[in-house]
Amino acid sequence: MMTPSLWQRKRGQLLLYIVGSMVFLIAIGLLSLLPGTPNLSLPDLWSILNGGGTPLARLVVIQLRLPRLALGMLAGAMLALSGGLLQDSLRNPLAGPELLGVSAGATVVVAAITIFHLPVLLIAIPWLALVGGLTGSSVVILTMHRMGDSVRLVLTGAALTALLNACVIIFMSLGTQNDLNILFLFLVGSLANRTWVHVQLVLPWALVAIPLALLCARPLNILQLGDDVARGLGLPVVRVRLLILVLSTALVAAVVAVCGPISFIALLAPHLARRILKTSDARVILPCAALLGAVLLTAADLFAREAFAPQELPVGIWTTLIGGPFLLFLLRHRLGKKRGAL
Amino acid sequence: MMYRPVIRYYPLLILLSLFMLFVLLVLHVAVGSVAISPATVIAALFNQPVEPFQHIIIWDLRLPRALIALLAGAMFGLAGAILQVVMRNPLAEPEMTGATSGAVLFAVLWLALAPAQTAPGPVLPLVALIGGLVGGALVYLLSGRGYHDPVRLVLTGVLMSAVLRSAIAIILLLRQEVIGTVLLWLIGSLNGLVWTQLDILWPWALIALSLGLTCASLANVLQLGEESATSLGLNVTLARLGLFGVAALLTTSAVAVVGGITFLGLLAPHLARRVVGVDARRLFPFSMLVGSAILLAADTVTQTLSQPVSIPVGAALALLGAPFFLYLVWRNAS
Repeated sequence: MMTPSLWQRKRGQLLLYIVGSMVFLIAIGLLSLLPGTPNLSLPDLWSILNGGGTPLARLVVIQLRLPRLALGMLAGAMLALSGGLLQDSLRNPLAGPELLGVSAGATVVVAAITIFHLPVLLIAIPWLALVGGLTGSSVVILTMHRMGDSVRLVLTGAALTALLNACVIIFMSLGTQNDLNILFLFLVGSLANRTWVHVQLVLPWALVAIPLALLCARPLNILQLGDDVARGLGLPVVRVRLLILVLSTALVAAVVAVCGPISFIALLAPHLARRILKTSDARVILPCAALLGAVLLTAADLFAREAFAPQELPVGIWTTLIGGPFLLFLLRHRLGKKRGAL
Repeated sequence: MMYRPVIRYYPLLILLSLFMLFVLLVLHVAVGSVAISPATVIAALFNQPVEPFQHIIIWDLRLPRALIALLAGAMFGLAGAILQVVMRNPLAEPEMTGATSGAVLFAVLWLALAPAQTAPGPVLPLVALIGGLVGGALVYLLSGRGYHDPVRLVLTGVLMSAVLRSAIAIILLLRQEVIGTVLLWLIGSLNGLVWTQLDILWPWALIALSLGLTCASLANVLQLGEESATSLGLNVTLARLGLFGVAALLTTSAVAVVGGITFLGLLAPHLARRVVGVDARRLFPFSMLVGSAILLAADTVTQTLSQPVSIPVGAALALLGAPFFLYLVWRNAS
């Protein structure tokens, strides 16, 4: 519980954190809007945003660079929130959508739609992905004896992910060479070539799910105390946990449907936020993690665009490549402890 | 984990399973887009006169594939058995130790970067071996003290596999023209393998399999536990490292030819242990046989079921193995 004294103690730190990440976000935003072809200056950008500028520059900024940036921020925030929700509600530092089978479940659905050219409306894809993701996560959760045993949860998720990946591979071997390349790009998670259509697809989900996720902070704080205490405080533990699970799956499903499974943002952002702010109060951590997620994903995307320019590598590769070892490093102490104490 | 052996008389068991393996091999050769009767297959194998086109199909196309499945299955099975004994870890599997994904990464790197005119043949297993050792060492170093805790090692392995696989994805995206050829190989496939590939595989298989089998008594001592093994005069660290090296050799040279097949190294030893118990001198050979049988059978079934297209056998094995892995994790918990 955040007493006034805690708020006073943390206020300076919090303000610093928020201002810091805002500065980062703006800097990344400018960096991803300005350079490239055509190379723009700040005044150019200003005039474009005010309706001026050359037609070409307008097209590039408004139709290409801006939606990509917006999608990156939205997706990053949503992924981070979903990770925060899962970690706190399962009391498990390794609970993340990619390790719980949520991403894999959603991916299988999207892969099936891509390969078999199923006649599905674009707007319905997130819903179907949601169903897939929920199926994946509920299998993992149902096979668990104790959900606090984080390592075992991850193993179950890994096995399920392997199973679902095998399904994807089977779909792939049924598809044509062209579909194969498209699907391969999708499977690693990318923000490239996304336009306002994609943003519009994610936006309603974000508008509904993000405020709902932030509202969950109070029950999350209670769940952190353990099931027995939470029940003693009058919280219907199972129902709340289920609700939170559905919510976090919804957050991920929308992102996966549009960007593909981008890994490790959801796992990393809440951990980093907790580490930086030195608190685990969900009311502070959830919004801060969302902010951090947006920063991380847009930064990674910028890197993905520029690192091997003109060749562009999907952002999902970089988040895995950097996020995986970093996560191991972050959790090395907690994993070093006796199992069950996690 | 103690299982009571089902069949007490071990030589009889081996003979029986060798016979089963021969039946599977004949079936594997007989099944395909041109169905050939098993009697014809046996006749052709023993060089009796058969129709020329059938002779070509059997000897030039199907037999090498079946033999590769036989060898690779044995290698994966033995590697899994060794790893499970050395780490005293029922969940250990080549994929989880980072060896498989490391080998795949280096092999893909080699295929993508090596000048086209050099034949990939004999060098590829060597490259894969280096990659497998690097991947294994990486997981070993990163898991630190947790290496002998079954679950924690696997956790590190799972995360590192994800990382290595994204490194593979980078290479593939930089060289998009190889995606089509490499993608099916990534999950493991026997499609299109002929005598050339068998010629690459068999020397390595011969060396690695015999090395692995001679290590059985060493593995038995290790199974007693660190203290007992040390008091028996064994340098535990060195023995472990040696066995780990043999397992890496087995895995990586098989991976170099058939690709990153997962879960076979987990399934085979577990099934074998049910039948012959934990004595490594019996477990190791029998794991080999079981591994071969599984791979042959799985390939036969996938070939029959997916006649017009060809689903890679690795995908079928993952469908089979992942639930089994779940079951092991689940049983380990209770």
